[in-house]
Amino acid sequence: MNDNNKKPTLIQEPPKTVLGKIKDFLFKYLGINFISKKFRKLPKRTRKAITGYIFIFPFIIGFFLFGLRPIFNSIRMSLADFAGSKVVGDQTKFIIEGFGFTQFKNIFVNNDKHVEAIISVFGELMIVVPLVLVFSLILALLVNKKLKGIKVFRMIFFIPVILLSGNLISYFQNYNLLDLPGLRGGTMQEIVEFYIPGNFSNIIIQAFDKVVLILWLGGVQTLIFLAGLQKTDKLMYEAAAIDGATTWEMFWKITFPSLIPLMMINIVYTTVIYASLGNPLITAISQATIAADYGRDYASALAWILFGIEIVVIGIYLLVLYFANKRYE
Amino acid sequence: MQLTKSQIRKRKIKRFFFGSVDSSGIISKLFLYIILIGISFIFLYPVLKMLITSFMSLEDLIDPTVNWVPSSVMLENYVKAAKVLKFKDALWDSIVVSLVPTVLSVISSALIGYGFSQFNFPGKKIWFAAVVLVFLVPTILLSIPTYVLYNNLGLLKSLKAYMYPAMVGFGLRQPVFIFIFYQFFNGIPNELSEAAEVDGANAFQTFIKIAVPLAIPAFIICTLYSFVWYWNETNLALSYFQGEYTTLQIAVSQFENMYRELFPGGNVGMDSASQAFNEGVLFAGTMLSILPLLVLYAFTQRWFVESADRAGIAGN
Repeated sequence: MNDNNKKPTLIQEPPKTVLGKIKDFLFKYLGINFISKKFRKLPKRTRKAITGYIFIFPFIIGFFLFGLRPIFNSIRMSLADFAGSKVVGDQTKFIIEGFGFTQFKNIFVNNDKHVEAIISVFGELMIVVPLVLVFSLILALLVNKKLKGIKVFRMIFFIPVILLSGNLISYFQNYNLLDLPGLRGGTMQEIVEFYIPGNFSNIIIQAFDKVVLILWLGGVQTLIFLAGLQKTDKLMYEAAAIDGATTWEMFWKITFPSLIPLMMINIVYTTVIYASLGNPLITAISQATIAADYGRDYASALAWILFGIEIVVIGIYLLVLYFANKRYE
Repeated sequence: MQLTKSQIRKRKIKRFFFGSVDSSGIISKLFLYIILIGISFIFLYPVLKMLITSFMSLEDLIDPTVNWVPSSVMLENYVKAAKVLKFKDALWDSIVVSLVPTVLSVISSALIGYGFSQFNFPGKKIWFAAVVLVFLVPTILLSIPTYVLYNNLGLLKSLKAYMYPAMVGFGLRQPVFIFIFYQFFNGIPNELSEAAEVDGANAFQTFIKIAVPLAIPAFIICTLYSFVWYWNETNLALSYFQGEYTTLQIAVSQFENMYRELFPGGNVGMDSASQAFNEGVLFAGTMLSILPLLVLYAFTQRWFVESADRAGIAGN
């Protein structure tokens, strides 16, 4: 593995500039030359591993500095009987007392409102994730068509990508800008209520109410699907067309299986975005953080439940996709 | 089989309306355009409604007959909103607060993504899982301990609160960018970097001379997204900067209070009613806060929309 040293240098060294000389001097006396000589003697595998670690080193520092400690502190807080801050000098010090599931008990036993928020967020996520997936796939398929003026439509369809922020969405919601005009209290509602009985019509109307929000949430996901669609092999479609396959069959036999990996990415992305973009639980957490009678310990416990919901939803849908994928193999 | 002329004509007509294997007919095209226009309307509706309302005077807002077309265009709303937002200062703050961490975040993402894609090292999978974990953990979960940590490190009330995390892969949604770079660098053929190595280049020279120029699209896309996401971030900016930087988004989130401070007359009598806080002014302020983004989008939408596949998000 030492063949690197014996290699004759074919490239002629350019004449040294002042800067180059300074560099040489520094390299010689800071021991860098020595280290690099030692480094070259290592086997190729080790060298590659070390360089790899050097490249990802920023992340490792970050993980220990900004990742692990807050995560650990957050776990500790959620499991404490009391966790609060106290200002000593210019440092904010935390006082954490007790260990146990007090906060979780508090949530589930004493706070119906928060339990309701938890359930509603879970339910919303379970509904919203597949809907966002379906709608963004439909949008991607539409935008992928070769039509005149499709560029203008693309530009409009991806406006949410730049405008989507918790702030703006909450403005939209507060001023009813996300409601489809004429749906609530209009003939549409009457028709739905007439034909579909009871609670079921309510669910449908609520889903319709959310359509605009769902479309707005799906910007990046549509982009990802579009990228995938543009990558699929055109020859496959031609071959299938010659064999007499319909567009419908082509979609399920060619397009859909090729998009499954992207669907996994999109499931994760949608869940994370939705869970961080203003839902009842987020409101509850930020209120509890400031509230005197709840505090940070309680808020942390709620936040961990939010994380748990995320993981469960992602897990469920990834499993569904996993089995769907198996069917194709 | 020989077709008669009438049969050929019939087929042509049929193809015109219903399409053939390789092109769609006029009916399906019409259908598609209707759907496309409908969905475009859904996306444009909130923004349009906001834009139109922002031009309305108080009388128009109260008048139920005025729905889409205001009786007069009130540019005064924008003048007031700009005053409330302190538009120039806020715009500058927004640009600084979005651009500086973005540059740092993109550079560190490129390095980390390159490390993950080009080298094999023990523990690689664990570290990659850590990146995914960082993405999955909701920001609100870590916001409390992170705030305390930054306070102890002395990062609060300055841009450092954004800069330092961005340098080490903990910027806003940075795992996404790490992943994009990872995918992108994976697409670079091994032969190129091996050839560079044979020529005596070390890993960093290979990275800068070969990988970076090839990854320019990824750099542009990540920069744009990161910029937009930092621009839109309100809660973090509010709690980290504590008034040191008032970005447009922060200013908008405090719009109502600021307005009442600046124009206190509104609540007293009828003659000062035009001074009162109303949706028109609020929406003018919101429009002002997203206007720079819309301008940016108008110039760069090609990168947002068309090069998604070039960024390799879709993998191979």
